[in-house]
Amino acid sequence: MAKTYDYLFKLLLIGDSGVGKTSILFRFSEDAFNISFISTIGIDFKIRTIDLDGKKVKLQIWDTAGQERFRTITTAYYRGSMGIMLVYDVTNEKSFENIKNWIRNIEENASADVEKMILGNKCDLDSKRQVSKERGEQLAVEYQIKFVETSAKDSLNVEYAFYTLARDIKAKMEKKQEASNPPGARGGTHQLKSNDQQRKPPSWLSRCSIL
Amino acid sequence: MSDADIKDAVENEYVEDGSNKLLVKCKFCGSKILERKSGKFVRKEIDLPLMEQDKRVEAKVQYEKIYQFFFVENMYTFENIGFTHTIDNCKYLSCADCDAGPVGYYDMDTKHSYVALSRVKHE
Ligand SMILES: Nc1nc2c(ncn2[C@@H]2O[C@H](COP(=O)(O)OP(=O)(O)O)[C@@H](O)[C@H]2O)c(=O)[nH]1
Ligand SMILES: [Mg+2]
Ligand SMILES: [Zn+2]
Repeated sequence: MAKTYDYLFKLLLIGDSGVGKTSILFRFSEDAFNISFISTIGIDFKIRTIDLDGKKVKLQIWDTAGQERFRTITTAYYRGSMGIMLVYDVTNEKSFENIKNWIRNIEENASADVEKMILGNKCDLDSKRQVSKERGEQLAVEYQIKFVETSAKDSLNVEYAFYTLARDIKAKMEKKQEASNPPGARGGTHQLKSNDQQRKPPSWLSRCSIL
Repeated sequence: MSDADIKDAVENEYVEDGSNKLLVKCKFCGSKILERKSGKFVRKEIDLPLMEQDKRVEAKVQYEKIYQFFFVENMYTFENIGFTHTIDNCKYLSCADCDAGPVGYYDMDTKHSYVALSRVKHE
């Protein structure tokens, strides 16, 4: 009965409070008389299925809920994550400067080969801008990380960013699998099968229950 | 038609061999939630919060009884879905694209999900 898929990637949204992480994950707007039950509780994570070069890829995307200080985000939080969106607010200089601290936190706590991408969010607010696009690009070059400006409000580049990060993780995994299992060396199992993952859930799944 | 007849009619239309005959989609935006045949039909009586809560009825969540669900054993079976933060050992399910919900719930103990037939579109 269970549907198969080719890859499952856990992704995290990281960055200072107020930069728009929750808005990137959650788009609901309420009217004057009714409030959505969902918006009062908030979203913890989403599962999305995308197609990457004919492969079925499941993304599990986590928000950071009220843990936005570096100190509180430790190894346990990053466990199992394969991709991280580093988000700053283009109208908030401090949030941009803090990206370096976030990167250091990731280097200290996350797996060494976690894929990263920098998002300069709220690019719709041009009149209030404090961080130019060029500075965002420079930072990305410095760390050799991909970069894009986004607007959660206008849904600009958000989907593009997730596809890009997912594609980079997939490419990295395929490279690794090829290296550890060169063609002809052993069988031809060059790919993690979803059935295996379902029998043995990755350890970070247990994180669900402590939240 | 009695209540029981209506229930049977729903089941004949949307259930085949014990699972969802059609694609399960969001009622509002059409986002794909489940592939065909990926949820198992179950009868269960559950109080689910209404999708739209009247703001004027203060501090009181309004519920509705729901009896028919598609059971999903593994959360990665979902095509697109949102999970809320946990309350009372449960997460509510919402549309991953427009955030409408709850379309069902997720039990933290069993790690099983249930999608309410009446809260989704069948195509
Ligand atoms: N104009 C504009 N406002 C945004 C954007 N993203 C988030 N916001 C607003 O910024 C504030 C903080 O957003 P939130 O998602 O809660 O940030 P978080 O603390 O990082 O989760 C909210 O008032 C959002 O409506 C955006 O792209 N454009
Ligand atoms: Mg937030
Ligand atoms: Zn929807």
